[in-house]
Amino acid sequence: MEKFLLKNIENPDSADINEYLKAGGYKSLSKALGIEPKDVVEEVKNSGLRGRGGAGFPTAMKWKFAMADPKFPKYLICNADEGEPGTFKDRPILEKNPHLLIEGMLISGYALGSEFGYIYLRGEYPDANDILNGAIKQAYEKNYLGDNILGKGVKFHLSVHQGAGAYICGEETALIESIEGKKGQPRNKPPFPVNVGAWSMPTIVNNVETLSNLPYIIEIGGEAYSKIGSNECPGPKLFSISGHVERPGVYELPMGISLKDIIYNHAGGIKNNAKLKAVIPGGISTPVLPPDSIDCAMDFVSMPKAGSMLGSGAVIVMDDSVCMVKVTHRALKFFEHESCGKCVPCREGTDWLRKILERMESGKGTEGDIELLLDIAGNMSGKTFCPLGDGAAGVVTAMIKHFRDEFEEHIKNKKCSLADSY
Amino acid sequence: MITLTINEKEVTLDKPVSILEAARQAGIKIPTLCYHEALKPYGGCRLCVVEVERMPRLQSACTLMAADGMVVTTESEVISKVRRGILEFLLINHPLDCPYCDKAGECELQDLVNKYGPTVGRYKEEKRKVPESHKDQILARNMERCVVCTRCVRMCNDVQGASAITIIGRGDRSRMEPFSSASFNCEYCGNCLTVCPVGAILSRLYIHSFRPWQVDKEVETICSYCGVGCSLVVQVRDDSIKRVIPEMGLGVNKGLLCSRGRFGYEYINSRERLKTPLVKKNGRLEESTWSEALNLVAEKLSEIKKGEGGSAIAGIASPRCSNEDNYAFQKFMRMVCGSNNIDSVSRTGFAAAQKFFEALLGQGITANIIEGLKNSEVIFVVGGDPTSVNPILGLSIREASRRGAKIIVLGNAKGLDRFKNVQVIPPVFKDVDALEELLAGVSRVKGVRGEKLDIDQGIRALSEKYSEKMSLDGLEELKYALLDSPSTSIVFGMDLVQRANGHRAIFAVAGLTYLLEARLYLLSDRPNEQGLIDVGCVPDMLPGGRPLNIHDFKTKFETAWGGSIPDKDGVTLLEIIEGARNNDIKALYIMGENPVFNLPDGPFIKDALGSLDFLVVQDIFLTETAEIADVVLPALGWSEKSGTYTNLERRIQLQKKAVNASSGMEDWKIISEVSGKMGYKMAYSEVEDIMDEIAEVSPLYRDLSYREIAKGNCLWPYHGEPLRGEIHELPAMAESAGNYGSDFYLALEKPLFHSGTLSRRSQALMKICPEPTLKISGAAAEKLGMQDGDRVKVSTSTGSSEVSVSIDESIKDNRVLLSNNFEGRGVFSLLTYKLDPVTKAPGIEGCEVEIQKG
Amino acid sequence: MFNETVLKEIEEIKARYPDRRSALLPSLYIAQREFGWLSREAMESVSKALNVPEARVRGTASFYAMYKHKPVGRHLIQLCTNISCMILGAEKLVDFLGTKYDVQPNGTSRDNRFSLVIMECIGACGTAPAMLVNTDFHDNLSEKRIEEILDKYK
Repeated sequence: MEKFLLKNIENPDSADINEYLKAGGYKSLSKALGIEPKDVVEEVKNSGLRGRGGAGFPTAMKWKFAMADPKFPKYLICNADEGEPGTFKDRPILEKNPHLLIEGMLISGYALGSEFGYIYLRGEYPDANDILNGAIKQAYEKNYLGDNILGKGVKFHLSVHQGAGAYICGEETALIESIEGKKGQPRNKPPFPVNVGAWSMPTIVNNVETLSNLPYIIEIGGEAYSKIGSNECPGPKLFSISGHVERPGVYELPMGISLKDIIYNHAGGIKNNAKLKAVIPGGISTPVLPPDSIDCAMDFVSMPKAGSMLGSGAVIVMDDSVCMVKVTHRALKFFEHESCGKCVPCREGTDWLRKILERMESGKGTEGDIELLLDIAGNMSGKTFCPLGDGAAGVVTAMIKHFRDEFEEHIKNKKCSLADSY
Repeated sequence: MITLTINEKEVTLDKPVSILEAARQAGIKIPTLCYHEALKPYGGCRLCVVEVERMPRLQSACTLMAADGMVVTTESEVISKVRRGILEFLLINHPLDCPYCDKAGECELQDLVNKYGPTVGRYKEEKRKVPESHKDQILARNMERCVVCTRCVRMCNDVQGASAITIIGRGDRSRMEPFSSASFNCEYCGNCLTVCPVGAILSRLYIHSFRPWQVDKEVETICSYCGVGCSLVVQVRDDSIKRVIPEMGLGVNKGLLCSRGRFGYEYINSRERLKTPLVKKNGRLEESTWSEALNLVAEKLSEIKKGEGGSAIAGIASPRCSNEDNYAFQKFMRMVCGSNNIDSVSRTGFAAAQKFFEALLGQGITANIIEGLKNSEVIFVVGGDPTSVNPILGLSIREASRRGAKIIVLGNAKGLDRFKNVQVIPPVFKDVDALEELLAGVSRVKGVRGEKLDIDQGIRALSEKYSEKMSLDGLEELKYALLDSPSTSIVFGMDLVQRANGHRAIFAVAGLTYLLEARLYLLSDRPNEQGLIDVGCVPDMLPGGRPLNIHDFKTKFETAWGGSIPDKDGVTLLEIIEGARNNDIKALYIMGENPVFNLPDGPFIKDALGSLDFLVVQDIFLTETAEIADVVLPALGWSEKSGTYTNLERRIQLQKKAVNASSGMEDWKIISEVSGKMGYKMAYSEVEDIMDEIAEVSPLYRDLSYREIAKGNCLWPYHGEPLRGEIHELPAMAESAGNYGSDFYLALEKPLFHSGTLSRRSQALMKICPEPTLKISGAAAEKLGMQDGDRVKVSTSTGSSEVSVSIDESIKDNRVLLSNNFEGRGVFSLLTYKLDPVTKAPGIEGCEVEIQKG
Repeated sequence: MFNETVLKEIEEIKARYPDRRSALLPSLYIAQREFGWLSREAMESVSKALNVPEARVRGTASFYAMYKHKPVGRHLIQLCTNISCMILGAEKLVDFLGTKYDVQPNGTSRDNRFSLVIMECIGACGTAPAMLVNTDFHDNLSEKRIEEILDKYK
């Protein structure tokens, strides 16, 4: 497949605006500015583009909600808080192709009637911060940003807002709180950000990859774009593959490609020909899949049928040297560390689950612990303020579902048989 | 109209509310923990989850708005399990120290666990350990008990506006802390205590001293500190006050309190209370009996009246005493002593301002509801910091700001620093001129109204006096903020009344009120300044604000009281003092006041009172004034007696007796005893009898009764008839003072934690603010080469005092501020005054001061 | 307190947002650059520059893991041990840093050369294990590579 999102990134100067322009950059912007904003939205609607952050919400629909709100100004925020462990798909865009994102935001801003954009960038990407700021500066110099873009009377201002190490800020309302200078704790919904978002104004929060698809949609047209990938979720998709594969990395592949295909063809199969034990298909918040379940189509609609979720498309591959209790424990340590503390079940549940798993992994598990883990997870699932707690509970439930014997073995043998393998 | 179904019951709502409130309206209780009626919904505890048809997840009832056609279930097997699970989560790290915890018995978590909680614990891991913090003098913090409902933080941020506490960390490491992580160093309103559902924040005043179920009496009463008159509940055990708490939704304060109201009550238990009457013998005050003391007072006053005439006698009433006390006092002075020389320290501010405002704009012009401030589009604050003088009124201004109102300030108002939109700080003592300039500027755009010719004329004179171009930065912005506002409130503090030309400030504020049709609020730092005026403790007016010099009014009262009232208006407070100094006044009767300490130029006041032939002081402490009296009579204090108070918005409220005092007598009773001995019988057996008489004779408080007052909505003009008389000729306005070129000027600070002299007998308030500090600006500190905490000697023409300095960045001119609360170190002993020719208030202006390192 | 240049820098940041409070996160980065870590004085300076209450500044700062909440050594190592890094040996690297460089998680070496913070995913899973040293990014870590890298940080 022809690469679009990762086009040109082998060029060491790909982040430079001149290189971007040479490769045909900002042409889609000119094209978009030549048509009515509502027609831009129509193209996006026809493309069938869905949000790439994890929820898979139709982008044009989200836009229309914000546009229907009479309040101005409207804010456009790019969610570059790529924090879901296992995910590193946005990073090549941010570091190698920043103008693609800026062009996407400009197109989006024009369509929405938004004149102010912010890129909420995770604090863990200091390089991307420098690169984005440099790119924004260049874009201002070349009049792609400012009060009269390309002389078309269109205004758009953009700046980077650096996060500071909080996974929860990937959740859009927490992200908005964080931009407003507060703790990143999710807000109550409704009202939704499309009506009452940043600074109480209509706000669109779109993922880096989502926004970066826009120039392509404008370039080839929504209709043509919709033919790429799977029917219900068209377009190219970035997958981050990590763990025990021969060729880990970010791959731009059509949406709906089989997970098995990704692992065995694109990523070169299991490292050192070891035995596959488990795959986390969409970042650690998504339920783990055993080897016999990986022949599934990677898109927002098919993955739930396979017992997991597409999430951010972050595939973590584990061979049989990996202890699943240890992985579960590490995941819970993460969730406990990242729980924002607002709601009781997540705040206390992640702590409790983590403590039990820690005990189990160190050989101090007791009879009934597995049932207790499941019950605690049950008391969290669906009761938390935001999906973070659901994710934590889901990890435990799925791990026990597929690897119960390993948990039992820890309790029975009072130790982890794979403790020293990595 | 919204109709929904909750537990198969049809509920109809006339306005949109949350499911939780809708259920409560229908009598269905949903358990909550992070929800609090005074706070915005949070949705954190998840206890209030309910099932809503066609919604995939359980929904928190506190955050979900009821919508037409919703079908809600609040109790089911699933929901019970969720609630049990939540409570189990809350308990895993909670120390089960209920037998030891002060909150037990009124703990929301305890109650919830009893009703919905798990019966056995499944938690085998180690609990979080956080030692209890006693690093604050007043508030104990136990973060093991904390359930992170954030009610305290939301109260502190969103209601109190102090933003002194926060949640530190995240996830299960979340804990509430003040910025310093030790001392709260806050406004000490204690409203966080009110909303804490568990024993995580406790007041160290009563920690481990009683159990909630041991309270044997609760008395709903009002606070004794300032002119807001907040409602509070006094909890009593064995005839002693254990705790003062507010009640949500009740009174002017609706469940909020300030530091003085919540923590300042213990002064009544002070060991220094007067126990018996004292009589001066051989130059020394000695313990005496009631009959000896009362006989002596009656004898002496009769003698002086006979020899020198009634005008040689004067009385100082008290804005801390009730309407009944003050009514009896003025009646006694007029009918028994034959004198209209009745005034109070309120003349130094409130009474002086009120009189001039009413003369200009009519009676009742300041009778505006405090809550109405919240609905203003612009609030103009001038002459003081409302958040320290009247803290609960200050909260309404902060709330207005949150609702989007513009807060504009002339001069200093530290407590509004984060809430103001525009502030102009004029050069030292030029604020009256700035105010006039503002009025001139407003009138230039808006013109005059043509309704009150005298005011119009005064305003025109100002337009001529000041040029079109404003002399100060920001004044123009202030002007347009006022001009653009569809609904303006003006909050006027007494700092500008206490100026050599304070009457000009009052005229300017009156002019703005008139031109902008604004609502005017006068700050009042004593609980009954308004009531005192209303019941006639002023030299020129009878009860009901009826001028003495209108014959018909006078005869009406003479008929009612059975006797004659002297014709001539009496003299005002400082004229009384000066009269004493000049020997025109021979005898002075002071009820509940301490002029030696509370009036400027303390040494002069003391000297003047010392030259009286006879001085009677009736008080609860042996004050600086009582010390030099001939007779001292022990009175009763707050919570020991009942009576009504009229607050600054003119709401009449009942202050109720809660405990028995071991000694002392009600002020009105002492007065009536003396009166009887002087041959005029006051036929009151109960305090209520006095209110009945007031209701009969005062055209303003007509038909009021305690039963009516207890309803809590006795608001101006009650059933009475206010008088709309206004003056027709403006008094001559004083010239502007020259420039003040000295390095530093001493001025009065009105602190949040103290009020007058009572608060210094409160251990709690003394812990929060143990000693006076000289507040100096950053620039002054630099000039003097001083740092926070340095000891200095402050000297003026009248004396000197040693205090430590504290740098206050909100001071922008060359004034240095000192409070008037601490024994022997009050600022008034260092200040001189000049009487304002119009208002007769003491002008304190241009008092040069020398500051030396001590 | 901040000097004029820093205050100007903060003013410029404020101008990017509709309200002053939004400049809090960037201002905290500036404060820790100026003071080395988010000391009490650093937070007081931010509070004053933005007119945001001190407690709010501290509360907000404490929510975010990447601010320096206590003094750190000359170089800050932020090592990821999340799953992709863990299964490729990151935990052993933590032990290695302890033995070789005398630095424990959340601690500072006695010579004040390094401080170590364990990170939750720094987005380098494809080249795991990975770490940041100050703001420099390093991946494909092994004990040997760590030695080579840290050699440059004296």
